[in-house]
Amino acid sequence: MTRLPITGIGVIAPGAIGVDAFSKVLDSGKTAASTIDRFDTTPLRAHTAALVRDFAPKEFIAPMKLRRMNNLSRFGVAAARLAMTDRGSPLSSAAGVAMGTAFGPVQTSVDYLQEYVEKGAALAPPQLFAESVANAPGSHAGIEFGLRGFNITVTQRESSALAALMYACSQIAKGMVPAAVVGGIDEVNEIVFGVLDRVGSLAHANGMIDECARPFDRRHNGMLVGEGGAAVIAEASAGLGAYAFVSGFGIARDATATISDWGEGPDAVVAAMRAAIEDAELSVHNIDAIYASANATARADRLEWRAIQSLFSDVPPVVATKGYFGEYAAGGALQLIAAILALKDQALHASAGFGEKDPEMRFTPTREPLKRELRNVLVNSISAGGGIVCAVLSREAA
Amino acid sequence: MRKPDPGIRVAITGAGILCSIGRNKDEVWNAIVESRAGIRKLTRFPGETFPTDLAAEVDEPALPVPRRDAKRLSRSDRLAIIAAGEAIVQSNGFPLDRAIVSTGTSTGGLLEGEDFYFTRLLRGRRRAPASRVLQQPTSGPSDAVARAFKLGGGVVSNATACASAGAAIGIAADYLRARHADAAIAGGTDALCRLTYSGFNVLQAVDSNPCSPFAADRKGITLGEGAAYLVLERWDDAVARGAKILAELCGYGATCDAHHPTAPHEEGRGAEAAMRGALCDGRTPAESIDYINAHGTGTLLNDSSETRAIMAAVGTEVPVSSSKSYFGHTLGASGAVEAVITVLALTHQIAPPTLRLESAAADCPLDYIPHTPRPMRMQNALSNTFGFGGSNVSLLFRRA
Repeated sequence: MTRLPITGIGVIAPGAIGVDAFSKVLDSGKTAASTIDRFDTTPLRAHTAALVRDFAPKEFIAPMKLRRMNNLSRFGVAAARLAMTDRGSPLSSAAGVAMGTAFGPVQTSVDYLQEYVEKGAALAPPQLFAESVANAPGSHAGIEFGLRGFNITVTQRESSALAALMYACSQIAKGMVPAAVVGGIDEVNEIVFGVLDRVGSLAHANGMIDECARPFDRRHNGMLVGEGGAAVIAEASAGLGAYAFVSGFGIARDATATISDWGEGPDAVVAAMRAAIEDAELSVHNIDAIYASANATARADRLEWRAIQSLFSDVPPVVATKGYFGEYAAGGALQLIAAILALKDQALHASAGFGEKDPEMRFTPTREPLKRELRNVLVNSISAGGGIVCAVLSREAA
Repeated sequence: MRKPDPGIRVAITGAGILCSIGRNKDEVWNAIVESRAGIRKLTRFPGETFPTDLAAEVDEPALPVPRRDAKRLSRSDRLAIIAAGEAIVQSNGFPLDRAIVSTGTSTGGLLEGEDFYFTRLLRGRRRAPASRVLQQPTSGPSDAVARAFKLGGGVVSNATACASAGAAIGIAADYLRARHADAAIAGGTDALCRLTYSGFNVLQAVDSNPCSPFAADRKGITLGEGAAYLVLERWDDAVARGAKILAELCGYGATCDAHHPTAPHEEGRGAEAAMRGALCDGRTPAESIDYINAHGTGTLLNDSSETRAIMAAVGTEVPVSSSKSYFGHTLGASGAVEAVITVLALTHQIAPPTLRLESAAADCPLDYIPHTPRPMRMQNALSNTFGFGGSNVSLLFRRA
């Protein structure tokens, strides 16, 4: 049995810089959403997002380097630095980097094309082009910390960070690298927000309810969008102590999904959950809690709760975290970190935004923080396009 | 969790390719043996003015999916489906419901995203079609291939610049070895777009003539586009179902220079480590390498640093060539396009040449197989692919 320790965590999240502050946000039970003021939302239905507001990148990155980085690179490098600091000592130069991002550098591409339109194709700034590639944040992290193992950027929509962790753990387990910085980055920008609003994906007020993401709630009408950067350090051995251990992964794809929705059949989600549990050499009875993908869209939530009810005859406590920091936040890494913290603290978080369950649901997501013995937690991530990644995290090394 | 089992051999049972010299394996290989390049005047962006005007564009064939679905696909998605389809047809019979799709792409549907951005910038946001930007995500090609061929094993997408497709193939191999899936469609795709064409020009990395990798007068890359996929299966499974095995994927090495956001390390430090990693993963000594399909972009820095890396990792006697002299730099797809070329080279026992290599540079002292294909005995071959940010991937293939 191979279980890989998580030995460091770094978080640049809505309402929280650092893992301790992030814990407080989760413990508060309250969303980190706020009214958007960085662009005009007047013509849109949605007006809130989970934004990173208190981030001072110069506290983490030297000024000369900072000028060459876009927001995503700043999120990624700062989160990696916090994770290293949290670990307590630098990583070996043989370590790898795996970053996840759902949308990548959309804003940088727009900024580049703005210059292209204004100045011409030959005079756009080369620095913006260098930052327009999705792997720029991971590359900056590799350069900043001298990490010469693999350096991969996974772009699997909502599942990006969990898919990055799956890859990194495969390489650590194989012995190719002794450790890896694994994380995610994403930012809220006018383009992505506007498009998600136009296609009806975002939570919005409708006369009956106010604008709020309500995962697994029968009144849910869309997601909250989040941003930020987050990193964990996964290693081959836990010489410095561990928050938790990564025990198994499962992947699948819903054949009913189109390229822009989550699909309709729960079978693929069941297959991915089952595969992760089997990879961890456990059975469904060993799962003490589920950190759900639930993003407060009707289709994705329904797909997931039907899958959970199908696999678990006795459903363990289910936690929905995206009411705190939104979908896409840190490429999906914040949900993962919330589950890691639950194992460390032996306490489940409340499902922010959840109020009234769908009558067909056999389980009730957590309403309040819940102290509980947790040995194994299942983490689900379901992405538009049909991709599903599930992971099992464990308290013990074996 | 299960580790990727190094004892599990990975068989290649299908290959598909689409680039400027051909729309399938046969067309591409015919062009290779006839030393016929596919680099011409750029036609895709009429009205745009760039400092250079050459490209290796793809003549896109008809798509094997319903028109309703095709309308939702980006050009990168469509190229991916065509190349993956060729690979899947050749492999014929692997378990679809347990097959993963692993795709590397640098820009995904940015070509379509650009339509949205340009409309928005020039005509206002109300006129910009949201449907175009929905085609942009770099997860699109994996999802599109999985949907087109009803593959249920999962999807993995990466955007690791020009190392993307090499990484995608390596990821897939290790997921097979760890039994996360029973088959994999692994490769890459990238369509030319204005941002990329402009960006490499403003970096002054583009040759105004067709690229000439390793040559004394090389001045940069030629931008191209394309897609390629391999069908990977565990060797024993492929044998058990009677599949024809094209070659073996023996090893995968992935490293980072940790040096510069866009330039390679001058000594080829990361590239050398990637090749050593692939050799170690494939339990193959360096002296057993018979041919290297180089990254060989035609830039001053890449070709000299890669040459140094090859000399350090493999030696000075190994024949090396750059297929980019035929079809340019296919960016995020290059790792897969050149992997298929390498598999074809092993299959046909003919090493592709480096075209337009009139005089090799002083800092490129290896045997680069100039001008004409070379029939030769090859058992093991490396295929290198490197990207922005110093990401390096090397794949080790063995003749079946």
